[in-house]
Amino acid sequence: MAGGKRTTARHQHNHPPPPPPNPSPNRGRGVADPPPASDDSPSSKRMLAFHFLRALARIHSTTPAPRRPRTIRRAAYSSMARAASPRRAWTQALLLRRARSRGVAVVGSSRRAVLLRRRVSASAPPPMLRASAGATSAAAPPVQGPPPRQAGEPARADALRRIVPGGAGMEYCSLLDETADYVLHLRAQVQLMQSLVDLFSPPNPTSN
Amino acid sequence: MSSGRRSSRTRRAGSSSLSSSTSRSISEDQISELLSKLQALLPESQARNGGAHRGSAARVLQDTCSYIRSLHQEVDNLSETLAELLASADVTSDQAAVIRSLLM
Repeated sequence: MAGGKRTTARHQHNHPPPPPPNPSPNRGRGVADPPPASDDSPSSKRMLAFHFLRALARIHSTTPAPRRPRTIRRAAYSSMARAASPRRAWTQALLLRRARSRGVAVVGSSRRAVLLRRRVSASAPPPMLRASAGATSAAAPPVQGPPPRQAGEPARADALRRIVPGGAGMEYCSLLDETADYVLHLRAQVQLMQSLVDLFSPPNPTSN
Repeated sequence: MSSGRRSSRTRRAGSSSLSSSTSRSISEDQISELLSKLQALLPESQARNGGAHRGSAARVLQDTCSYIRSLHQEVDNLSETLAELLASADVTSDQAAVIRSLLM
C-alpha cells in the first residue's frame, strides 16, 4: 500500500481527528488488526514503522537540509506517541509538546487540551496539563513541585520524573508503570531507526 | 543533582483514599512488581543481581535513568545519521522491499 501511493499528509496534520475511545490507534489503511496492548508486539512495531516512515517521506520532500536532524528527532518521538496507547501520560505529554511546538491554532490546542484533561482526569491528573490549560507557556511548561515522597521511594525517582515525558508531578507507582511503557517504545523506536540506517548505508553487503 | 529531601505539598491529595495499612501493602506489592518489570527492561539487569531491597530500588531507578538518557542520545545520533542518508541515498528496489516488509 505504502509503495504505490505517495499522498502528502498535510491535510491530515492540519485537522487531526480525535482518537477513538478504544485504545487501538487504527488509522493506517494497511493496518487491519488492532494492537492487543501497548507492548512490544509486532502490530505495535508495525504502527511505529508506519508513522515514522510516513514522517520521513514528508521530511524528505519538504524539509530543507539544515533542519532535517531536528525534524527527524521530533518525528521520532511523535511517531512513538502515536503508535502507543493514547491513554498513556507520556504519549499525551509528547503529543501536547508536539502540538505546542508546531504552533497549532488556539481552538485546536484548546480542544486537545480539554480532551487530554478529560482523559487524564480518569487517573491521577498531572499538574502540567492543568498549568497548560490556564496559561499558554513556552515549550517547557513550569514544572510544579513533585508530590510528597512516598515511604520507601528513592531520591532517584525525582530524576526519573524529569526525563520521562509527563512524569513531573506523577505518583510513584504511576511513574514506574509509565517509565516501563516509555522504555519499551523508546527502545523499539531506536531499533527501527537503527534498521533504517543499516538499510540506507552505502556499504550494503546484501545488495551485491 | 538534588539529593536533599523536599517535602513539598501538592494542592490535590493523592488518589489513594484507602486505609494506610491496606494502601501500604498494596502499594508495596505493586512497587516491587513494577520495579521487577523495569529491571527486566534494562540491558545490565543480568549483570547486577542481588543486593538489599531498598538499595535494589534505588539502583534500578538509577540504571533506568541512565538507560533512558542513552536511548535519548541514540535517537539524536540516529536522527542526524538518517538526515545525512536521506540527502544522499536514492531508494532502490531492494530498499523499498525492506521498507514494505517493515510496514506489512
